[in-house]
Amino acid sequence: MIRNYFKIAWRHLWKFKAYAALNIGGLAIGMSAGFLLLLYIIFEFSYDNFHSKSDRLYRVVTDITTPSGEHENTSVDWNILSELQSELPQIEDYTRVQNTDLDVRVNSETYQENEVIAADASLFNLFDFKLVQGDPATALTAPLSIILSENTAKKYFGAKNPLGRVLKIMDGKYNAKVTGVVKDFPENTLIKGDMILSLSTYTEVIDPSLKDSWAEFSNYGYVLLNQDASPEILEEKIKKYNEEAHGDIMNKTQLKLVYRLEPLKDVYLFSNQGNVNGKISNVYTFGIVAVFIILIAAINFINLTTARSTERAKEVGIRKVIGAQKRQLTFQFLSESMIICFFAFIFSIGLTALVLPYFNELAGKVVASTIFDQPSNLLILFGIAMGIALIAGSYPAWVLSSFKTTYVLKGKFSRSSKGTWLRKGLVISQFTISVLLIIGTIIIYKQTNFMRAKDLGFNKEQLLVLETGVGTGQDRLKSALAENPNILSMSTSSGVPGGGGKKEAILSTVENKKGHNQSLALIRNHVDVHYIPQLDLKLVAGRNFSNELASDSTTALIINEKTTQMLGYANPKNAIGKKFDQGDRKGQIIGVVRDFHFTSLQKEIRALSIVMGGNQNQLLNLKVNTENLQETISTIETYWERYIPKKTFDYYFLDEFFDRQYRSEEQFGTLFLIFTILALFIASLGLLGLASYSIMQRRREIGIRKIMGASVLSILNLVSADFLKLILISISIASPIAWYFTYNWLQDFAYRISIEWWVFVTAGLVTLFISLLIVSFQVIKAAIANPIKSLRTE
Amino acid sequence: MIKITNLEKYYQTEEVQTIALNKLSFEVKEGEFAAIMGPSGCGKSTLLNILGLLDDPDGGSYLFNGIEVAGYNERKRAQLRKHNIGFVFQSFNLIDELSVFENVELPLIYTGVKPAERKERVHQVLEKMGIMHRRKHFPQQLSGGQQQRVAVARAVVNNPKLILADEPTGNLDSSNGNEVMDLLTELNEAGTTIIMVTHSEHDAKFSHRIIRMLDGQKVTENVLV
Repeated sequence: MIRNYFKIAWRHLWKFKAYAALNIGGLAIGMSAGFLLLLYIIFEFSYDNFHSKSDRLYRVVTDITTPSGEHENTSVDWNILSELQSELPQIEDYTRVQNTDLDVRVNSETYQENEVIAADASLFNLFDFKLVQGDPATALTAPLSIILSENTAKKYFGAKNPLGRVLKIMDGKYNAKVTGVVKDFPENTLIKGDMILSLSTYTEVIDPSLKDSWAEFSNYGYVLLNQDASPEILEEKIKKYNEEAHGDIMNKTQLKLVYRLEPLKDVYLFSNQGNVNGKISNVYTFGIVAVFIILIAAINFINLTTARSTERAKEVGIRKVIGAQKRQLTFQFLSESMIICFFAFIFSIGLTALVLPYFNELAGKVVASTIFDQPSNLLILFGIAMGIALIAGSYPAWVLSSFKTTYVLKGKFSRSSKGTWLRKGLVISQFTISVLLIIGTIIIYKQTNFMRAKDLGFNKEQLLVLETGVGTGQDRLKSALAENPNILSMSTSSGVPGGGGKKEAILSTVENKKGHNQSLALIRNHVDVHYIPQLDLKLVAGRNFSNELASDSTTALIINEKTTQMLGYANPKNAIGKKFDQGDRKGQIIGVVRDFHFTSLQKEIRALSIVMGGNQNQLLNLKVNTENLQETISTIETYWERYIPKKTFDYYFLDEFFDRQYRSEEQFGTLFLIFTILALFIASLGLLGLASYSIMQRRREIGIRKIMGASVLSILNLVSADFLKLILISISIASPIAWYFTYNWLQDFAYRISIEWWVFVTAGLVTLFISLLIVSFQVIKAAIANPIKSLRTE
Repeated sequence: MIKITNLEKYYQTEEVQTIALNKLSFEVKEGEFAAIMGPSGCGKSTLLNILGLLDDPDGGSYLFNGIEVAGYNERKRAQLRKHNIGFVFQSFNLIDELSVFENVELPLIYTGVKPAERKERVHQVLEKMGIMHRRKHFPQQLSGGQQQRVAVARAVVNNPKLILADEPTGNLDSSNGNEVMDLLTELNEAGTTIIMVTHSEHDAKFSHRIIRMLDGQKVTENVLV
């Protein structure tokens, strides 16, 4: 029996090839889009989920409360984890990981490594990173031990054995020994680097005072809990311990620290770590888009199959006469759906494999190197395909098997109005989804453009930033470039807007409006006197630093308007002359700069302090004449090699660097756009099939109308009106839903666009235009045909 | 074998009710060959549909082999139909996507006959109908007469007790038509009961008895044999 079903299904598909192509093609494209998004979603959820102990791994984060407010710090105090482990048996092990950069000299070559982590020896006990050489138990124990990734080892030593070799690091100040080679880190982990330095290098060699520090935040902290430890109870115990052990100092400094545990596998999507973080909202969005696209494809399938059901009516009648029961017919047509979906599945696997490399490029990461990476994924995909077959196949199967034998054998059809309504409803849902996606695309693009174009409060154009490091090299480079006519101005600083260089948050006390010493965490940037004019920062009160006043480099502070507001000053001028204490420097506020965006527009402007000098100004910022850019850069490089030979020439343009913060938004926007186009395309395929079918049904009517004298235009009006009504309904349903979703999406951005009415109108017009194009093409074809012919075929 | 008493059937459109069968009664004995005649719209096809258990009556009684089947649901009707009744239509009603062999095999599939036995029985009946050499062809590749022979083969492959023929020669020329009538006569002589709806006086003469209908009612009955 089943063989008979397959046979007839196959022959039917073969007979109506165009229809089969439309049906299978639409489904295959829909499935491929769904599959790609599914791979993306699975990948996003896979971050740090692959460690064998991942169920027991937690990241420790710190809620810091000062009198000026509360903020979450994703790092942890330098010493707290070892204290907690010895006090609380629920903590089986811990490791601290610091992201840093390192200059490395191997033989005569110098490399600037920006992806370096420093970690405790226990790293390999917590995480499933494999050493291909070296002993995981001891490789990170001794200070100045370095583990190289396979790639880095190859880069430094080629085929030679790297174990035991010595690398000169930190301007050649220290000799580090290679103690292991680690398999290259996978993409889907937050803990990764091109090399791992033993963390004891800091505490034993570079800065032994760290061992006695408190509230020094530079490490991410990870703990491995015991099998039966509850993280909630443990959090309470940690809180209790911390208050007992550090309550005094917390009171004294007005700095309250509360440690929290975050499941490691949730960090990527639900929290953040440095610049690498996913967004659960993006994952949800893509999930919804995937469901939408599959839904559109499935609706096509339902519509095309039921619209063409009359082709199969005779067969249904005959089978019923011969003795087939409704159940058997339902099963037959369901298995036919399965065949169609199976073909679509096979095609979509090919299609997915074909476009996967491009998709990876768009996503900015290797979501899957091939679709066969994880056989289980294929199984899931197959399950989805068969699910579509079952769900989308049920309705047509039911319609077909319900045909009344006595009618269909006579070639009579009472096309039930219920069926027509259902089909119309389905078309409405398709176009509702399409309009939704178009509105989404417009909003995402508008927001991304808005962020790029918004006045940031400083001038980032023509600014070339060099990571020279501090010291005589920088000084000599500066004097060498001073005479160069293509360099318009020079400044040095510890950081620049957009996350370049170092900008630490430092606990400060500042005299507020009431005359009290108020504690607040201030971001601190070290600069020279040229920095503020070079970036066109506006001073709203007070003055810039001056080289004439020696005390400026030790006792002067410039703050931003945000800080004056936090201190309660209505007028920034009132903050001038007020006292501050940042531990290593005390003095008076000499100036207030207008607020500017030193981080991306996703975030609110934070309280900022700017100080002068302090041997931290590792960046040399050059405003360059863009006319002779190549020449200027090569001149700079020549001097660099002469004066800073130990470092590789490293530079970037501030505007590009700043915009890099929006890369994930841009990728999101591009992917969203592509999938919207796909959704529209599939919906259009469905409309094309449905329109051509509906016109075929009305051929006789069109013929009679033409004989009565109807013009092509009036026939176009007649048939298009039906479809246009459906599209207008879709637009009115989609608009409020789209408003709701885009409004919520925009809430993630501290600075955002408002949603304007024309976005909805545009989305509606685009949909209307495309549908009109498809429908009118079909109608005109029918309307210009010879009416006698269409009447005769009837 | 078949006994209908006061059979009624109405068709309801939005505003008008049409009476298709108006308290119709007659009996057909086992082994009989009855022809039903009458003008278009007199209710012949409606009657045949009800007799073939494709449709149910709105009133009256229908005894099939002494069992009341007027109230049967679709599942029970399908059961009874597939074991006992074969159909032959004016327009042949073969499935275009299936070959001659597969079309004839279909009823055996639905009655759950094993593949080996199916093959044997289909071959037997194709042989008997003289279309064995056409078994791999598809309906569109056959002449009208050949198609109707396939349809007859399909109707008899299950050895039904009753064959209902709805104008079986309506789409055929006279020589092909005669061949089909000869086939039906042979089947009847072998014991199968046949009820045939026809417009053709010529065809009706092959039967034992002609029942003439008008406006859903029986008007005359002529016994020919």
